[in-house]
Amino acid sequence: MSLLGRASRRFLLRHPGQLALTLLGVALGVAVVVSIDLAILSSRAAFAASTETVAGRATHAIEGGAARLPDDLLARVRREAGVRASAPVVEAYAMTRALPGRALRLLGIDPFSERPFRPWLGLGGPDFDLTRLITDAGGVVVAAEVAAEAGWRVDDPVDLIVEGRRVTATLVGVIGEGGDLGGEALRDLMITDIATAQRFLARPRLDRIDLRLPEGAPGEEAAARVRALLPGGATLAPAGARAEEMAGMLGAFDLNLTALSLLALVFGVFLIYNAMTFSVVQRRELFGGLRAIGVTRRELFGMVISEAAWTGVVGTVLGLALGVALGRGLVGLVTRTINDLYFVVSVESVTVTPILLLKGGVLGVGATLLAALPAVREAVLAPPRTSMVRSLGEARARDLVPRLGWAGVAVSLAGVALLLLPTRSLVVGFVGLACVVLGIAALAPVSTVVAARLLTPLLGRTVGILGTMASRGVVAALSRTAPAIAALVVAVSVTVGLGVMIASFRATLIDWLDYTLQADIYVAPPSAVASRSAGTLPPELVQRMSDTPGVAGVSTLRAAEVPSEYGELRIVALDLDPRGEAAYRFRAGDPATAFARFRAGEALLVSEPFAYRHGLGVGDRVRIPGAEGVELPIAAVFTDFGSDQGVVLMGRVVWDRLFDDAGVTSLGIFLAEGARTREVIAALEATVGADQAVFINSNRRLREGSLVVFDRTFAITGVLRALAFVVAFIGVISALMALQLERARELGVLRANGLTPRQVWGLVTAQTGLMGVVAGVLAIPAGLALAVVMIFVVNKRSFGWTLEMTVGPELLVQSVALAVLAALAAGIWPAWRMSRTSPAVALRNE
Amino acid sequence: MSEAGRRGPAAPPGGRRGVTLALVAAGASVIGWLAFGPAEGERGGGVRDAAEADGALTLSLVEAMGGGDDAERYARAFEPRPFVFPADHAAHPDFRTEWWYVTSNLATADGRRFGVHFTIFRNALRPPPESAPDESPGPEEGVGAEEDSGPEEDPGAEWRARDLYMGHFALADATAGRFTEVERFTRGAAGLAGARVEDGRAFRVWIDEWAIESVNPPEPGAAGIFPLRLVAGDPGAGIAIDLVARPMKPVVLQGKDGLSQKGDEPGNASYYYSFTRLRTEGRLVSGSDTFSVSGESWIDREWSTSALDATQAGWDWFALHLDDGRDLMVYRLRGIDGSSDPLSEGILVDPDGSSRRLGVDDFTLEVLERWTSPVDGAVYPSTWRVEVPSADLALRVVPLLRDQEMNVTVRYWEGAVELFDAAPAGRDGRDGARSEGASRAPRVGRGYVELTGYAGRAPPGR
Repeated sequence: MSLLGRASRRFLLRHPGQLALTLLGVALGVAVVVSIDLAILSSRAAFAASTETVAGRATHAIEGGAARLPDDLLARVRREAGVRASAPVVEAYAMTRALPGRALRLLGIDPFSERPFRPWLGLGGPDFDLTRLITDAGGVVVAAEVAAEAGWRVDDPVDLIVEGRRVTATLVGVIGEGGDLGGEALRDLMITDIATAQRFLARPRLDRIDLRLPEGAPGEEAAARVRALLPGGATLAPAGARAEEMAGMLGAFDLNLTALSLLALVFGVFLIYNAMTFSVVQRRELFGGLRAIGVTRRELFGMVISEAAWTGVVGTVLGLALGVALGRGLVGLVTRTINDLYFVVSVESVTVTPILLLKGGVLGVGATLLAALPAVREAVLAPPRTSMVRSLGEARARDLVPRLGWAGVAVSLAGVALLLLPTRSLVVGFVGLACVVLGIAALAPVSTVVAARLLTPLLGRTVGILGTMASRGVVAALSRTAPAIAALVVAVSVTVGLGVMIASFRATLIDWLDYTLQADIYVAPPSAVASRSAGTLPPELVQRMSDTPGVAGVSTLRAAEVPSEYGELRIVALDLDPRGEAAYRFRAGDPATAFARFRAGEALLVSEPFAYRHGLGVGDRVRIPGAEGVELPIAAVFTDFGSDQGVVLMGRVVWDRLFDDAGVTSLGIFLAEGARTREVIAALEATVGADQAVFINSNRRLREGSLVVFDRTFAITGVLRALAFVVAFIGVISALMALQLERARELGVLRANGLTPRQVWGLVTAQTGLMGVVAGVLAIPAGLALAVVMIFVVNKRSFGWTLEMTVGPELLVQSVALAVLAALAAGIWPAWRMSRTSPAVALRNE
Repeated sequence: MSEAGRRGPAAPPGGRRGVTLALVAAGASVIGWLAFGPAEGERGGGVRDAAEADGALTLSLVEAMGGGDDAERYARAFEPRPFVFPADHAAHPDFRTEWWYVTSNLATADGRRFGVHFTIFRNALRPPPESAPDESPGPEEGVGAEEDSGPEEDPGAEWRARDLYMGHFALADATAGRFTEVERFTRGAAGLAGARVEDGRAFRVWIDEWAIESVNPPEPGAAGIFPLRLVAGDPGAGIAIDLVARPMKPVVLQGKDGLSQKGDEPGNASYYYSFTRLRTEGRLVSGSDTFSVSGESWIDREWSTSALDATQAGWDWFALHLDDGRDLMVYRLRGIDGSSDPLSEGILVDPDGSSRRLGVDDFTLEVLERWTSPVDGAVYPSTWRVEVPSADLALRVVPLLRDQEMNVTVRYWEGAVELFDAAPAGRDGRDGARSEGASRAPRVGRGYVELTGYAGRAPPGR
């Protein structure tokens, strides 16, 4: 090893705390990015795998929409369209007490049609009785692994809830390895014969017919023949189209998470910058000496850059490991949210791909090198003599202050301009947001100077000479203090801004729940996706419930997802009790006439996200597919936070015209005067047959449940917010450490001149406190800007809804308090070290 | 894991009856891999690739269908029954197995020869509901009521399959020297496959787009279910037919008034009738070419619950059209020890449709040549001398193509044959038949031969 290398190594080893901080910064930054990436990728991969398992090798699929497909369509597709490679599918989610918190994908198939499609189901296995699966009216099979988990053995009865119906199935066999798809693909599946699936669902129709069409012209001809057979509302589409669309629903969700994770990396970069700068600054004299004895700039450059590279590599490797571990935790939060809001996906293991690791590695090492560049520059460019003079650097830094300030203003304004662009791009929104916050952070030095100037007399008068020293010291070491303050500004503003956004969202939601939950009692079948409903209540049950004593009125709601020109369209048919009208608040449209037209089946109501997503407004016409299909104008746009994909409401009369389906997805029940909720719920429960699984909830419980889902949704935001803050906090500690250690000699002189350790402690604490105050004050506008952008730009562009912003005076308090506390906390250790250092040791450096 | 090992003695394959029975016995493998083997169009040479590629071919169809108790739950053929047409052309769901079997010898106007074998089999997956014993053996309708779902209506009834339909379709192209076979399975539900007679005449047995069905609307002067249209094809395999068949003779009841005893045990018998000769014309596809063809067909109808005894191994079956207008059917039931079963028999149908039953002593079958299957070395007889002394018949029966082996789930040989006069001079025909001159003897007819129980185990290699 060269002499320089040894010098470098010795230095790092002699400052283990410093090295550890640097590594921690790199590692945490990388870890957060990797873990979020991992969580997103894994949930995506699990979704793709389960989609592939279910879609199989189909090239196309006939989707039935809300009306589904008639049973005889398959025979016609084969005979009249000549497509024999066709397989009927009935699909639903099944829940079972044996597997709490999990939904199995119940796949009803015709085993004789499966050969071209899903050979990996392995229904030909030796431990398996296909005849029984076909002939046993309740026969189901699951992967051996699932059976073991649930404690089922072959021949065991299996109690299921399938779309709100209680059924008892029989496990007639287990399937194995999943062929080339692997066992993972089978772990959410429950296979049954198509007749059994129809029996479970009480639904004599098909959800889908998978097809394998040849390529090229023959395939197109076959597709045309198939299309000619399709009933209204049914579509023929390439097999992946629907899955892609579903995955696309997550786009905004994923992007928001990624943006948050990048924030952590930004803080990580700051941390690395601090640490590297510090380690160079500490060796200023060494480097000067080396240069003086003939070490070239190139050699010095190599030394420092390789230090940075090594730190980067080691930190990144640690970060990758930490990220994978963290990702395993986060994936649960991510999939929980997807399950709550979008669709069922379950992730057994995280998918660590080489690409993911490479991305994390490049990001980590690259960021380290980038963050180290200023330090390397400082080490290399300074001439041998001046590199020993610290004050020169500070003087140069102070010269930069005004320029940096103006640049900050310019960047902020550019960010605002970006945000005002008439685009819906979420990426542009995030870039604009970053500009605003960084611009404000760039004002940290000038603000520090101004603050110090304002405060110096005050501190001088109140605290005396030490106060003046503290405030001037902050300015004197501006090249150290300013980045720390800037980092603190960003960290605090992000924390506060996100906090405001979440609080505003929650307040908006509570308000919305207050008026949207008008009924006293809600009835619905249990659903695998919390925000969606699956299954229907039979009309007889609805009638029995309406007739229950104490019930004064009933609103019925029927929801369905149908393929349409708008993608998968969520339609909701309402038969609204007049008391329920208050549940809808219009953002556009005339409330006086809208409901009348809606009830008459002459017009639709659409939710704000739907209108935003598709650029539609009152008066525009929306086409609803169905047996006949219908096109109606929009009467009003209403506020809704139930679905970021948007919903279209139609009067029940329109539904009945389109679909031969009297089922009801949920009921809102209005109580008669004096009726007691609990008693009516008990009476309603008595009307439910033994074969029905129904949730009957009071208004209050539904409301609480909705908030639970909301809080769960934002849990991951909270985690990321905390992580980002931790990284920033470590950055501030290391910045303060650098500052204080650099001043060791100065403090040593002060100690030698009679300052007590306690006074040193006070001096350091006052300085960091001052920095905290500056950062906290600056963080107020930054946090506010962040909240505004998150609410009105990011949320709108991501999900299409408008939140009410709620900002209390606590924002100010919170912001400053957080910054000061963070700064003080970060200053504790440096202050403690400084106060303990004996003046002799501190001065020995002379 | 060996199928044969697990199930005890290998499938006792029989004739086309045997095919079905073997299906039942060999099992389960059948459904298993037909449903889950490689997709159509991915095959190399027949379905054998699939069988070799996939070891997991076992299923317990045997347990579901093969048990003695189980057989008791089906109707069985104990004694002759009055046949009612056209209702009896439809399915008999109270019996376990049933088939509609067509073989055709066809040629183009310039003499290019083809053989067509097109059969639809029905296999019950479970016995009829206990509450409804053999009340009406009539056409299949409304089967699939739920035994265990109580009085409630089963929303899945439309798809609830009691029957599995199997289709075999093979084309022998003598000029191209090519034999191509395809097999398919479909559940008898939701209109995918079935066999029924509507409006007292419109007959149809179908498996997806393959069908044997009454021409609709009926031709002027058409009687009963005829004429019949035969449609089958497989674009991937490059074979297809679209033929119309008109009977030249009335229905013939086989065995004793249609009761064909196959085993010693009472009830080991089938109901069996035939249309022995139908004028047939239409179009067929072989490879990339379409041909206009005409010729003659033979239709067999048979249903049973159990037929062969455990000691029986297989079946050599001959359906021969003589140019003089006579039709000869003979079959030899072979014991596991190679012996001929005394229950072997036949029938001779005169040009006017009158028929005479032949007992085991009324005919002789002599194997003259043998052929070895390239699949697994199974040895099949390949040229025969058939004699019916009482009818003054001595025939040399030669395959149109040597390899007409149905390499499907249960392997058997089903092929078009040519008939040559084997009694050129006097009664010393045996030597004459063996002489070189015999092959130049005049052709006196055409026919079809079925050989089962030679390629013992299905699927091969397991």
